[in-house]
Amino acid sequence: MSSKLVEFKDVSFRYGEEQPWVLKNCSFEIFENEWLAIIGHNGSGKSTIAKLMNGLLFPQEGEIIINGKQVNEANIWDIRKDVGMVFQNPDNQFVGTTVQDDVAFGMENRGIPRDEMIRRIDHTLAAVNMQDYRFTEPHRLSGGQKQRVAIASVLAIFPQVLILDEATAMLDPKGRKEIMQTVSNVQTSQKLSLITITHDLQEVVQADRVIVMNAGEIWEEAKPRDIFGKKDALRKIGLDVPFIGILADELKHAGIAISHEPLNHEELLEDLWTLHLKT
Amino acid sequence: MDITFKNVNYIYQQNSPFAHKAIDDLSFHIPSGSFVAIIGHTGSGKSTLIQHLNGLVVPSEGEVRVGDFLLTKDKKPKNMKELRSRIGVVFQYPEHQLFEETVEKDIAFGPTNFHVDAEEIKRRIHEIVPLVGLSSDFLKRSPFDLSGGQMRRVAIAGVLAVRPDVLVLDEPTAGLDPRGQKEIMHMFYSMHKQQNLTTILVTHSMEDALKYADHVIILNKGTKYMEGRPEEVFIQKEALHRVQLDVPEVIQFLDQFEKKFNQPIPFMRQSIVDIAKSIRNVVKGDASK
Repeated sequence: MSSKLVEFKDVSFRYGEEQPWVLKNCSFEIFENEWLAIIGHNGSGKSTIAKLMNGLLFPQEGEIIINGKQVNEANIWDIRKDVGMVFQNPDNQFVGTTVQDDVAFGMENRGIPRDEMIRRIDHTLAAVNMQDYRFTEPHRLSGGQKQRVAIASVLAIFPQVLILDEATAMLDPKGRKEIMQTVSNVQTSQKLSLITITHDLQEVVQADRVIVMNAGEIWEEAKPRDIFGKKDALRKIGLDVPFIGILADELKHAGIAISHEPLNHEELLEDLWTLHLKT
Repeated sequence: MDITFKNVNYIYQQNSPFAHKAIDDLSFHIPSGSFVAIIGHTGSGKSTLIQHLNGLVVPSEGEVRVGDFLLTKDKKPKNMKELRSRIGVVFQYPEHQLFEETVEKDIAFGPTNFHVDAEEIKRRIHEIVPLVGLSSDFLKRSPFDLSGGQMRRVAIAGVLAVRPDVLVLDEPTAGLDPRGQKEIMHMFYSMHKQQNLTTILVTHSMEDALKYADHVIILNKGTKYMEGRPEEVFIQKEALHRVQLDVPEVIQFLDQFEKKFNQPIPFMRQSIVDIAKSIRNVVKGDASK
C-alpha cells in the first residue's frame, strides 16, 4: 500500500456560529498516486472539502493533514505548494495575456528560475496537449482549452495533489471529453494524487475510489462499480444514474441475466455477447 | 407565435477590419406551439440567432418574422417593447442578472417595466413562484442569500412574470446538478404544454433535445446544417460527427449493438423498456418473434 498523502480526521465545518454544519465529522484518507472522485449534489459539501484541503477555509473541528503537515494558517503557503486546484469557471482563472504567461504566473510567484520555467512550460503544455497555443490570447480559446491551460498552470508547480473542483461543469460535451482525457493522461504519466469533484456519475468511472457526499456527510466510499450498483439510493440523494445502468436494469427485468454491473457500453455488450453464445 | 427566418445574414462589426459573419444565409420556420431545440458547437451562431428573436440585433440582410413583427436592416418594428414583452429570453446563467433587494422585487422588475399594474404583478408572482419550485417564504429574502439553483429559479420567474408567448432558453441547465437539471427542464416542458407556448431551447445536450423537442435545428458556421424530427436527425452519426456533435447515448449504444450482433434495432424514440425487450429477443436468438 502506498503512503497516505491527505488525511481528514473528524472534520466539521460551518460558515458561521449560527449557520448549519456543511460538513459533519468527515474522515477519509487519500493515498499517493491515487485517483479519488468525490461526487454529490449541489450543497452536499464536496467543494467545501476541496477548499479545506488547501487552506481556503479552516475547519472548526477535527484536523486535516497533508503530506505530514497539519493545515493551519501558519503553513498554508507550504500546503498550497503541494495542493493545486482547478475551479469550475474557465473565465475566472486566467491571469496571463497569453497561454505561456498564464502558465508562468504560478512559477513566478514561487521564484522559479527562468530556464527552469521555460522547460516546465514546454513540458506541461505538452502534457495537456496545448503546445501549439503558447502565444495565443486566452479569449481565443474554447472553454475546454482554457481549462486545459489551467491544469497546465497548476502542474507547472509540481503539486503532490491536484484537485479539479467541477472543472467540467461549464463546458460543452466536447470540452468535457477533452478534460477527462487530459486528466486521465496526466494521472498515468505523472506522480500525483488526483481528486476530481463532480456531480456527474459518468466522470467517476475511471477513478480508483469514489466518495459519495450527502448533506455534509460521507454517504458511501467504494469502487466505482460498487457505487454504480446502488441506483435507487443514488437517485434518492439527487444523483443521476447513467444510461448504461438504467439499460442494464431494464435488461434484468426483461429476463436477461447480466453477470455484473457494467461501467460502459463495451462491458455490457461483451456480457450480452457471452450470453448470446450460450443460447 | 410563428417564427420565420428568411435568408438572414448577420455580420458583427460590419465595414471594419474585424467584420465577422456570425449568421450566414439562414432560413427556417418554427410553427406556433412547437418545442424546438437549436444545437451546434461553440461558435456556431446559436446565441446570435436568439438575439434576433427579440430584436436585440437586427439582420444585416434578410428578414426575421416573429408573429406579426417584421425585423429587417431598415425596418425595426415601432413597438419593439411589445415584441420584447412577448418573447421571454432566459439567458445563460440568468442568476447573474439578479440585482434587487428582495426576491419579490426582482421578479416584479420585468412586468413593472412593461407597465403591468401592481395588483396584477402580485397575483402573477404568487402563481409563478410555486411553478418554478420555490415557496412564498422566499419572497422577502435577498436573492443573494440563495443557492445557485434557487437564484436561477428566481431569475426564470422574472421572465415568466411578463407572460411571454415565446420562451427562449439559452442552456438553462448549465452548471446545475442532475436533480436541478431535471426539475428545471420538467418545469419548462409542463409550462410549454399548459400555456401553449412556443419554446426554443438552445442546448448542448442531445439527451434533452431528444426528450423534449419535437423539432431540432443543427447549426454550423452560422447556417442551418440539418433540420427535422429528433429521431430522424440524431441517427445520422457521421453527419453529426463532421460538425463535432455526438449522437445521444441510446443511439450510440444501439449502433454498437448492431455492429456486434449484426442485427439492427431501429431507433424510433421507443422507451428504454422496449429497447431492453428488443435486445433480449436478439440475444436470446428469437428476434423474429
